Amino acid sequence: MSEITIIEKRNIAPDATMLFGFPDVGLVGVIAASHLIEELNLEEVAYVDSKLLPPLIVLHEGLPHSSLRVFANNNILLAVSEIPIAADIIYPIIQALIDWGKNKKAKMMISLSGIPIQERQDAKELKVFAAGSTPEMLKLAKEKGIDILGEGYMVGPQAVMLQKCANMKIPALTLLAQCFYNYPDPEAAAEVLKSLANITGVKVDIKALLEKGEEIRLKARDVMKRTQQELSGIKKAREYDIPLYVS
Amino acid sequence: MAIRKRKSFFDIINEYFGDVEELANQFEDMFMEKPSWSQKNCTMEPLKDVTVTPKEVIVTVDLPLAKEGTIEVKPLDSKTIEISAEMKRKIRFDDFGITHHKGEFQRFYCQTRIPVPVEMDKVKFNLKKGILEVHMPRKRGERIPIE
Repeated sequence: MSEITIIEKRNIAPDATMLFGFPDVGLVGVIAASHLIEELNLEEVAYVDSKLLPPLIVLHEGLPHSSLRVFANNNILLAVSEIPIAADIIYPIIQALIDWGKNKKAKMMISLSGIPIQERQDAKELKVFAAGSTPEMLKLAKEKGIDILGEGYMVGPQAVMLQKCANMKIPALTLLAQCFYNYPDPEAAAEVLKSLANITGVKVDIKALLEKGEEIRLKARDVMKRTQQELSGIKKAREYDIPLYVS
Repeated sequence: MAIRKRKSFFDIINEYFGDVEELANQFEDMFMEKPSWSQKNCTMEPLKDVTVTPKEVIVTVDLPLAKEGTIEVKPLDSKTIEISAEMKRKIRFDDFGITHHKGEFQRFYCQTRIPVPVEMDKVKFNLKKGILEVHMPRKRGERIPIE
């Protein structure tokens, strides 16, 4: 038996865009994912069952749920984790989700995340950068007015997702909004959702997200703190490093 | 010739227990799991970060829903500052959908250790987008001459 099982609760529509929102810098992906679930009224369609995950369940109205679930409507599959993924299980978890998404005939995969900047509180506007699994996906991002993350390192689930998709020739993008490293950043999540809307046409009310920004920051403190611990475990700060390419 | 006053036995004991207490606090922060709130004190612990630059130490603290005029930054000793702020409104566990704890929170409260010597009497702070920035100029020691 495989170490990771994805258990489906509903039929999955083909040709959906598969999105990933995992705890990372500024919790950009999780905040964006949570807002998508709420605004689009996405339904839980599948969940990850694995001994690799910590012995933890999420209780909702007294019933147990996996910490790693897939929500969906007819156009979107959204994989979201409520807890940070430990360094040693990022590869198998992401591989299992990509294999599952491919099996469900997802037409494209996009991970939503952040890229930390210093002096974030002084930033007047937040840019979103993209990296792609293929030259065609980069072209698409450029056509939609999104800057390309040309050179540098990317660390975390979104990095593994992009590499695996490139290996498997799956069209994929990682969208990274400039954000705080250590603090939940709903503004950055709003920016990444705007870019997602540009690429996929999936639009949600950003104003609502910004209005409850302070409540989100207050509520997300504990998840952010846990995420900080995992970020140091995966050496996230390498994203600040200047690369020495052996071309 | 300067006369150095010898430390009394009690001073040495006090210093020793002070050091032990500080080590115990550091150990607790590093390894002990504790909630980010105190029901007893009605406080929530905010997220914080410390950066050391060549000229100053900057402590940032995330204070969403904090009332701007109520923020207090106080030095507790030469290595520790205490930060507190009143919230714009009371936050209850119910607001987070939690029903198995009871209580409400009215203030943010945290203490932060400063890793290098600073001039505590020159501490300045400001609030930008709900992030508190505390600036503390570093104490400069003697320069070591190049031989």
